[in-house]
Amino acid sequence: MTDDHDPPDNSEPQGDDDGDWYGEADPRVPDAPAWPDRDLGFLGDDVYFGGEAEVRSDIGGSHIPSPAPDGDAELRELERRLDQHRTPAFPIDLRRRLPLEAVWRRWRSLAMWGRSDVVDDFGQDPRATARWEWLFEFLYSKWFRVEASGLEHIPARGRALLVANHAGSLPYDSAMVMHAVRRDHPARRDVRPLVEDTVFHLPFLGPIMNRIGGVRADPENAERLLRKDELVAVFPEGEKGMGKLWKDRYRLQRFGRGGFVKLALRTGAPIIPVAVVGAEEAAPMLGKVTWFAKNIGIPWIPVTPTFPWLGPAGLLPLPSKWYVQFGEPIDLSSVSGRGLGPAAAEDRLLVNRLADQIRTQIQTMIDGLLGQRRSPVLPAFLG
Amino acid sequence: MSSTSPTGRVVAVTGACTFLGGELLRRLEEDPRYSRVLALDVRPPSLTPGGKVEFIKLDLTQPTVDGELATLLARHGVDTFVHGAFLSHPTHASDWAHELEDVGTMHVLNACAGVEPRRLVMVSTTLVYGAHPKNPNFLVEDAELRGHRDSRFVNDKVRAEKQVQRYAKEHPNVEVCVLRFAPILGPTVSNMYTRFFSRPVAPVMMGHDPLMQFVHEQDAAYALQKAVESHATGAFNIVGKGVLPYTTVLALLGRVPVPMPQFVARQLTKVLWATQLVGSPPSFLDFLLYLCVADGAKARRELGFAPRLSIKRTILDFLGIAPEDGATDVARAQA
Repeated sequence: MTDDHDPPDNSEPQGDDDGDWYGEADPRVPDAPAWPDRDLGFLGDDVYFGGEAEVRSDIGGSHIPSPAPDGDAELRELERRLDQHRTPAFPIDLRRRLPLEAVWRRWRSLAMWGRSDVVDDFGQDPRATARWEWLFEFLYSKWFRVEASGLEHIPARGRALLVANHAGSLPYDSAMVMHAVRRDHPARRDVRPLVEDTVFHLPFLGPIMNRIGGVRADPENAERLLRKDELVAVFPEGEKGMGKLWKDRYRLQRFGRGGFVKLALRTGAPIIPVAVVGAEEAAPMLGKVTWFAKNIGIPWIPVTPTFPWLGPAGLLPLPSKWYVQFGEPIDLSSVSGRGLGPAAAEDRLLVNRLADQIRTQIQTMIDGLLGQRRSPVLPAFLG
Repeated sequence: MSSTSPTGRVVAVTGACTFLGGELLRRLEEDPRYSRVLALDVRPPSLTPGGKVEFIKLDLTQPTVDGELATLLARHGVDTFVHGAFLSHPTHASDWAHELEDVGTMHVLNACAGVEPRRLVMVSTTLVYGAHPKNPNFLVEDAELRGHRDSRFVNDKVRAEKQVQRYAKEHPNVEVCVLRFAPILGPTVSNMYTRFFSRPVAPVMMGHDPLMQFVHEQDAAYALQKAVESHATGAFNIVGKGVLPYTTVLALLGRVPVPMPQFVARQLTKVLWATQLVGSPPSFLDFLLYLCVADGAKARRELGFAPRLSIKRTILDFLGIAPEDGATDVARAQA
């Protein structure tokens, strides 16, 4: 799946890698109880009253009736022990007789395969990221043959806001922007793309996006990321960008409500415009069906040359040729000659004007890239 | 309006038999700054004979308990009131739960309005934010308390909190502090989450894997102790270090995940809940679908509470496995 010569930071977790985590536990593994044993010897000194006592015995249904309402400590202690036996779903005697311990330990190490026991604050899992690396590398260099330019505009450290155009019914473009920076930028930085709700809450795809670094598009999340000096990618067209029809390709939609400008003003992050060309041809949307789509929790069902006709295989992108261009950083604090501080985020007219300026700039970058392609349709695939 | 008594502070604790209540009593017993502790509950907690903790039987579901409580507060000169009589897991006796949590809080506040203590500390949970698709990754304290559409367990706590917020506005002399605990895990605590994770199998909403957050029982007890000591006011999220996806939590615990489509899971839990076979109501499934993770920065800043244990160590401790490399957690994340 991955190259063996990869540096350890993004290599597929090997068997012994797992072993290092669980291996350390080996010397005392026979002692480790399979399920939390609440009947063990800790009762001696530290006597706790569990939450059980809150449920009144006469109403709480299955509660063991209290034999001694007040006073008799011995009986209450006995009652409490009985109570604690009820908590694990498996009777403790059964657990002791069956050789479940070994099975359980094996299951635990098996279940941890391909995931790490530590994720970052927003849910990025380093092992899961490494696990999907080969797929992105394949899409990037073999399938879309992405040509990235202007990577030098991305700072090696510190916060920045990448603002890109959006296309295609699945967020391949955010994955490619992420991979371009991780692969070709000298600092190999992680880009945290903001993912629309519709994608973020899609079954299976949403959690995968989250594990490899995607974050739900939410102003609070974005601000938190930028204050942590991360590289955040936003697609201000949002759902409207993904729902563009083939006839509207490469015509930028309204840039939301300018939330990304407010974000940049508040956090002082430079805006780096990004133009992605090729995504429109990868999944050309001929039409969209809104009927029934709402019932299954998506805004529309896309109709592409392949999609409903080939079944799930139709969701695979066509092998168009992609160009990704990173523009020069726009430092909003020096726009229009005067310093724009965080207070400017409250000036709605200004925010909207800045958003539109950036939109125009990205549109110009896209038009430039389109001009490099020789003719409209076929070279989109041949490059 | 009682002032601190010359010999030391007097603390009253409702819900003395809950896990947090019991832990607090134990910690106050050892602390010489407190001269007297009143343990209020329907059942006596375990007490050191001859200690300064005194058990007083008090049932918050009784209609005239507020007068009784006010007399108590005045007579003993209570300066710090800790309200922790909340259920740690849902019960089928939801009417009784409502009487205890929502109406019980009203009684407590009635008493505290009559005889103002210096400080009022309330125990709440982060569940009051609700699991909602629009939740940001880290909920801050002034986020809306959405509760849950059809969970009386959560909504009673939301109502209780709103009463306390109103009380805080009307009584500026009282330092009101609300602690919202993330789900508490640990070897001795028993609540909805420990029961849920004690089962060998656990439902997974097919294709969904929200991030989860826990706080270790000792960290939680320490936070409550801190809240009693300090002068900080307002709501505080008490959360552990780090988050983990739900399925990773299950994998670390060695539980078998059972993925099922949402409608199957909902119908199944409805049946299992109605027949009293499981302790988590259908509304709990939303917490397996969407984020409900809170930000503990404010508690660190203003309350001086920082959790000591990471989520992984909390889980291992819950399992009874001694952690050996907790310190390398962060290093591994960056590797």
